[in-house]
Amino acid sequence: MSQSVIDPPRSTGEPPAPGTGEGVRTPAWVHVTRWALIAAALLGLGYAAQQAIEAGSWLIVTVVAFIAMAVLVVYSTQRFIPAKYLLPGLVLLLLFQMWPIVYTAATAFTNYGDGHTLSKDEAIVAIQAQSVRQDPDAPRFGMSVAVPEGEPIESGDLSFLLTVAPTADGDELEEGAEETGDTGENVTADGYQLFVGTEEGLEPLAAEGVSVRANGTVETAPGYRVLNLLEANERSAEVTDLAVPVGEDGSAVKAATTSQAFVGQPTMVYDEEADTMTNAEGKVYVATEDGNFVPEDGEGSPLPAGWTVNVGFGNFLTIFTDPAFRGGFLKIFAWNLAFPVISVASTFLLGMLLALLFNDPRLKGKAVYRSLLVLPYALPVFVTGLIWAAMFNQQFGLINELTGLNTNWLGDPWAARLALVITNLWLGFPYMFLICTGALQSIPSDVKEAAAVDGAGPVRTLVSVTLPLLLVAVGPLLIASFAFNFNNFTLIYLVTRGGPFVDGNSLVGSTDLLINFAYRIALESGNPNIGLASAVSIVIFMLVGAISYVGFRQSKALEEVN
Amino acid sequence: MKRTTGVIASAAVAALLLAACGDSDADTEETPAAEDTATEDGESAETTEEAPADGEESTAEAGGEPAASDGTSLVIWADDLRAAALEDVAALFEEETGVPVTLQVVANENLREQFGDAVSAGAGPDIAVGAHDWLGELVQNNVVAPIQLSSDLVERFSPESVEAFMFEGQTYGVPYSVESLALIRNVEMAPEEPATFEELVATGQQLVEDGEAELVMAQEVGQEGNAYNMYPYLAAYGGGIFPLLEEGGFDGSQAILDSEETLQGAEKIAWLAEQDALTVNLDGSNTIPQFVEGNTAFLVSGPWAIQQATEAGIDYAISPLPDFEDGGDPSPLLGVNGFYVSAASQNPQIAQTFVQEYVSRPDVQVALFEAGDRPPALIEAYDQVAETNADIEAWGLAAEGGTPMPNIPAMNAVWGPLGIATASIVNGEDPAEQMATAQSEVESAL
Repeated sequence: MSQSVIDPPRSTGEPPAPGTGEGVRTPAWVHVTRWALIAAALLGLGYAAQQAIEAGSWLIVTVVAFIAMAVLVVYSTQRFIPAKYLLPGLVLLLLFQMWPIVYTAATAFTNYGDGHTLSKDEAIVAIQAQSVRQDPDAPRFGMSVAVPEGEPIESGDLSFLLTVAPTADGDELEEGAEETGDTGENVTADGYQLFVGTEEGLEPLAAEGVSVRANGTVETAPGYRVLNLLEANERSAEVTDLAVPVGEDGSAVKAATTSQAFVGQPTMVYDEEADTMTNAEGKVYVATEDGNFVPEDGEGSPLPAGWTVNVGFGNFLTIFTDPAFRGGFLKIFAWNLAFPVISVASTFLLGMLLALLFNDPRLKGKAVYRSLLVLPYALPVFVTGLIWAAMFNQQFGLINELTGLNTNWLGDPWAARLALVITNLWLGFPYMFLICTGALQSIPSDVKEAAAVDGAGPVRTLVSVTLPLLLVAVGPLLIASFAFNFNNFTLIYLVTRGGPFVDGNSLVGSTDLLINFAYRIALESGNPNIGLASAVSIVIFMLVGAISYVGFRQSKALEEVN
Repeated sequence: MKRTTGVIASAAVAALLLAACGDSDADTEETPAAEDTATEDGESAETTEEAPADGEESTAEAGGEPAASDGTSLVIWADDLRAAALEDVAALFEEETGVPVTLQVVANENLREQFGDAVSAGAGPDIAVGAHDWLGELVQNNVVAPIQLSSDLVERFSPESVEAFMFEGQTYGVPYSVESLALIRNVEMAPEEPATFEELVATGQQLVEDGEAELVMAQEVGQEGNAYNMYPYLAAYGGGIFPLLEEGGFDGSQAILDSEETLQGAEKIAWLAEQDALTVNLDGSNTIPQFVEGNTAFLVSGPWAIQQATEAGIDYAISPLPDFEDGGDPSPLLGVNGFYVSAASQNPQIAQTFVQEYVSRPDVQVALFEAGDRPPALIEAYDQVAETNADIEAWGLAAEGGTPMPNIPAMNAVWGPLGIATASIVNGEDPAEQMATAQSEVESAL
């Protein structure tokens, strides 16, 4: 019976015989429903494919198309009867089990993490966009976006209608204005200077017929259709890209907001040939294989935005060779083996003893005791974990206060480990109590009676009859419990956060499990590195797999004894 | 029966892990609405540019639309307090520009991560409200867009607040509040403002001796240490974490944790621990309560402690951290809150208009002050608030001389080692040794 736990839960067993016997006509509504369901499934998949196309992921489109074909082939005919039952399970298996595993494995071979989340092209674009600097002396323009009159709003050539407020110092106008011959005709009665800016450059705009709003932007101008906010927003990407060249140093007028423009220029220039970035001072940054632009002369820090690169087995090598990891990894691994063993053993022993006690038919009021015992199991670990952490506080905690000890529970490595075992015992024994109670009640009373007839005392009955039967029933659950505690992230995170940290190593805590270690590397360490954390997860995956395999082999052997 | 137990157990493991990952910061601020976004973005967290994850269709079905920028309305992510404070501004913006504003509440502790994840997946808000020290990471991952502030606008903000949002010479945020550590004193227990730290400690010890208090002073340290809280001491003699650059900002390429000046400050930490003023047993969960319950006269904390003190009816006074007798001047790190514009915004110009032209309005800054009790970054708004609110003036004084928390990504490599080093010093380890260890660990991570 315990065999069923080992089987994947979604195995459907033998498919039942086809419902439509020979010579019996299938009612029409069955056909209609079937085709409606197929159509609905295909529509859903089509929508998914649409989304994937928009996101530009052809891999997903391919997978979706494959699933759609499989749905059509399997369900549209009378054949492939087993496949009709298996397909949904297979798709779910693929989606929720295989894909995350493949994805994690793929990430483990990259340096994906902070500063390396972009592709190289994106990084280049980002670096250039981030390097746009305002010319400090240039004025701010009032800006309206316009298209030539008569041209469609959606596709007409964009231009900026620009104004310089009369308060701005006229002498400090940017070079563009001087070059274009500021004749005075482009000054409104209010003193606003008017320009029109296109990709070609800046031209004065005749003031005649132009009206200016209170915020200093052009409202109407002859020959132009001024776009309102929402119309301009429809073309926001083009507005962002539009740079009106002024002067010879590469400065351009660009949109700052919906109503203001600034003069500035990107200070980083990418040279595709040499694969380098050059900044305004002429400093050259070269692309490295690690996915960064670093200064050619080695002085200074790399540019902030890097990109994801394949690092091969680099992450795995780091785990096993980097001194900060190697020592820590073994230490963590040893504790990671000890913690679940101790947890399972202690919780099981306590749970079983209580279950045996409360299984005694002579005991009255069992329901009350049992509900009380299950209480810790019913409380969320987020609450209890934090409460236990507070209770272990050396100075203010309940435990030292009650016991009169002065143990530094969370500051001493061994005391912290003990604190975790105690906490987990409290949290975990109700589960063991529950399953043992269930298993004990399922042991038929006649075997015990038979033992009694054979002359066995209560102890002998317990040791030779009850316990073996109990272990057969709960054995696989103990292995599951081991696997759970092997990755018991929450408890560690809430009670000790992996600490205390000793020997000046802030990556490796004394009570860290591998999963906590992976989490710290991925998200909390100096340089969050998802790739490295994925590599650690894969190592954990393999370890848990190996341990579970051995465990299940053992539990099978246990059954054969039976 | 047992078959389901296995399934339930594994589902429970998964759920616990997911929940644990989401709850990365043990902050107490929580909002129900944030739960929704947490699940939505849990999915997009897996999604990257090159290989959008399995749940492409499910993300869409989960209804990411209301929270993501889509080109028809301006989407702002903020925590519950700020979202509430922004409601009037949103209505005003909508009225004046005709662009509807969607305020999406995201729990403070999840905002940074979700903002980053969502934008790298090409979704996310147009604007996010957050702290300035996220900046380095956000720029590295191309999450935020530069903001070209006009020079006359820059002059209207306090200089540190604008500097805080600068990274490699570029501005990426519009500030609205500045916060820092200060000394919060229970006036009934200690009527006089201590002139020096030595005096503070002596008063505190006297109170303990007289049985009026249980602790000399309360300041959060915790088992893992707290570099932010210990920084004022480390910087008291000119030391710190990274050297300041002449053009502003920090030089993240070299740490100065083992420099002579920093060490002098570290010794003050050791001294405070010897005097029972600092202990690792005070952590995020019990520090403020100790003060609120009247167990100590002195609390070193920030504006976030005030609400609890007020609710408890404590008669408190706020003053800058006192100097040491030998001239050491503890200078706190400044935390600046502000508005970021997403690099993937579908409404870039409108978002820029909102942050440049609306967030910089005095009435908006005052409204945000009223929601969060932090001194406004806009000088005009600060003056206006300080006139009627003595606390705010005190916070402003406490922040004077502080340096914005470094926003460079290298700072991520510092918090852990420096925190642990300071915790060890508080535990009685040798300051020089601990700072040297931290220095070498930070160096290897840089």
